[in-house]
Amino acid sequence: MATAIQIKKGYVDYVLTHNEQPKSVYSFVKKLKISEADFYAFYASFESIEKNIWFELTVETIDEIQKQELWLQYSAREKMLSFFYSYVELLKNHRSFVIYSLKKHGKRLATPEVLAGAKPIFEKFAEEIINEGLETGELADRKFFAKRYKDALWVQYAFILNFWMDDDSDGFEKTDEAIERGIQVTFDLFQRSPIDNLFEYGKFLTQHGKLKEKMGF
Amino acid sequence: MKTQESMPTTKVERSAKFVKTGFQIGGNYIKHYSKKIFNPALSRDELNEDNASDIYNSLSELKGSALKIAQMLSMDKNILPRAYVDRFTQSQYNAPPLSGPLIVRTFTKSFGKTPEKIYDKFNIKSTHAASIGQVHEAELNGKKLAVKIQYPGVGDSISSDLKLVKPFAFRLLGMSEKELNIYIAEVEERLLEETDYVREVRSSIEFAEACKNLNNVVFPTYYPELSSSRIITMDWIEGLHLKEFLQSNPSQEVKNKIGQALWDFYNFQQHELRKVHADPHPGNFLITKDEKLGAIDFGCIKEMPDDFYYPFFSLTSTDLFEDKEKTIEAFRALQMILPNDSPAQIEFYYKSYKEMISLFAKPYVTNTFDFSEEQFFEDLYTYGEKVAKMPEFKQARGVKHFIYINRTNFGLYNILHELKATVRTDTFKPHV
Repeated sequence: MATAIQIKKGYVDYVLTHNEQPKSVYSFVKKLKISEADFYAFYASFESIEKNIWFELTVETIDEIQKQELWLQYSAREKMLSFFYSYVELLKNHRSFVIYSLKKHGKRLATPEVLAGAKPIFEKFAEEIINEGLETGELADRKFFAKRYKDALWVQYAFILNFWMDDDSDGFEKTDEAIERGIQVTFDLFQRSPIDNLFEYGKFLTQHGKLKEKMGF
Repeated sequence: MKTQESMPTTKVERSAKFVKTGFQIGGNYIKHYSKKIFNPALSRDELNEDNASDIYNSLSELKGSALKIAQMLSMDKNILPRAYVDRFTQSQYNAPPLSGPLIVRTFTKSFGKTPEKIYDKFNIKSTHAASIGQVHEAELNGKKLAVKIQYPGVGDSISSDLKLVKPFAFRLLGMSEKELNIYIAEVEERLLEETDYVREVRSSIEFAEACKNLNNVVFPTYYPELSSSRIITMDWIEGLHLKEFLQSNPSQEVKNKIGQALWDFYNFQQHELRKVHADPHPGNFLITKDEKLGAIDFGCIKEMPDDFYYPFFSLTSTDLFEDKEKTIEAFRALQMILPNDSPAQIEFYYKSYKEMISLFAKPYVTNTFDFSEEQFFEDLYTYGEKVAKMPEFKQARGVKHFIYINRTNFGLYNILHELKATVRTDTFKPHV
C-alpha cells in the first residue's frame, strides 16, 4: 500500500527530473509501481499534490516560529518578519520544486493555482497577528481598511516569493533585505500616521462646518 | 531588467535623488547662460559654487556609503575645506535598526543557533549603530561582550552607490573618468573590505598582537569562533567616547597621555607595520577608566607599499627639501608631477606641493607638538581652501594611496586637536 509521502516524493522527483508533469496518472502510477486507486485515495490530481506541498510548507513555518522562545515577546510586526525569514529558510531546501511549481504559472498577477491551499492558512495566520496588533494599539484600526490589511500581507507574500526565486545573492541576502524593508513599510502603513490625523481633522471640520459661516469666510 | 526588478526601493530612491541633482545642475547652467547673455563678463565661479553646493547637499541627504565616498574623493584635495571637515565625523551608515527576527536569522544562518543559545544573555535591542552595522550587548561565562551585526546587502549597496556617484564626482572634481577610476577603485576596494567581518576579526587580532607593547593602548579580545562574515563578537570595553571624555573635564596631563597613546598607535603602525587602521573616527576609540586608549573597529586597513612609503616619508622626515632635484624625483615617484608636465608646471607643482607638505609635516619637525594650536589648523584650512580653488588642482594628481593615508593623518590631527593634547612626535620615526 502506497503512502501519501511516497506519492509526493515520487511526483517531485519526476517533475524535477523531467521538468514537466507526468503525461498521465496512469503512466505515473505504473512507474511508481502502485495502483491508480492508491493514487486517488490521497490525491485528486497532480495539481493537488503541489497544492498540498505548498500548504504543508506554510503550516510547517507557522508551527516552527510559534515554538521559538522569543515569539511571545514579539510585536505583530516582528511576528510577521519572523514568519517570512523562517519561510524562506524552509523553502531553501525545496528551491528547485518552488521554482518549477511557480514558473509554470508564469508572471500573471492572479494567485497561482498551486498556492490556493496555502493562501487561506496564511491569511488566517495574518489575521490573528493583525487582530493582536489592533488590540494592543500597535496598528491603527481604520474602518473598512483594517479588514484589508491581510490582503496587503498576501501581496507581500507573493512579492517575496517572486523576489526569492530571482535572487542570486550569497545566502539569499537580498531576499532578507526585501523582507526587512517590505514588511517594515507595510506595517508602517498599518500604523497610525499623519494621514489619519488629517482625515480626522477633515471630519471634524465638516461636522463643525457652521464654524466657517460664523467666522465669516 | 532583472536587477531593476530585484533591487530594493532604496536604489530607486537614491537614483531619484541623483536625478534631482542632475536637474538642479542643469538649472544652474541655464541660470548661468541666461545671466551671461546680459553680462558677458560673468565668470564661471558662481556656477561652480552653485553646482558644488547642490551636489554636496544631495550627497549629504543620501548619507550612507555615497557620503563616505564623496568625502573621500574630496580628500584628493589633500587638505579639506572646513565645511567638509565639520561633517567628516558625522559619516555614518544611516540605516534603521535591524528587526529582532532579522537578528535571529543572521545568527541562525551563521551558527545554526539563535543568539540566546550562543550567549548566556543577549540583548535583542541594539545599544548603538556602528558604521555598517549595529552593536548588541551580550554575556558569556560572566564576561560582558559586544556583538556587532552587519546590515544585509551593504556590500551591494556600496558598489551601486559608487556607480551613482561617479558622474557627479567627475563634475565636482573636474576630473576625467580615466583619472577618477583609479581613485574610485581604491575607495571601493577599501569599502568592500570593511564589509568582510571575517577579515576584520583577523586584522583586529593581528593588530592587537603587534601593538600590545605600546603604552596606554588597549584592545578588546576577539572571539573568532563566535564571529562570522556578518557577526563579530569581542569583549565589551567600558569607557567614554572622546566627546564624553572631554565633558568630564580631564586634566591636561591625562589629555596628553591619551593624545600620546593615539600618536604612538598611529605612528607605530605606519612605520613599524606599514599598514594602518585607516579610520581615525572618534567613534572608533574609547577612553577607559584607568586612562588608557581603547581601539576598536579594524574594518578599514590601508597597507603602504614600499614605492609609496619611501618617497612619501623621505619628503616629510628628511632634509630632502634642501635638494630640489631629489624632491622633484620624489614628486614624480608619487605622481604629483606627471611625465608630460611642462617646465613651468614642474616649477609650479614643485613649489605648491613643497609648501603643502611642509605645512602638513610641521608636527614632525620639532620633538614635541602642541595640537591645541589654533593657528596650525587655521593655516591648514586656509591652504586647503586656496588649493581647492586653484584650477591647477582640478586635475587628479598623486598616487591612489594618498586618499587613505591623508585621511588617516588628517583624522589623527583632528582628534589630537579636539583633545588639545601636546605630544612627543619623535617616538616612532620613519625608516627612510
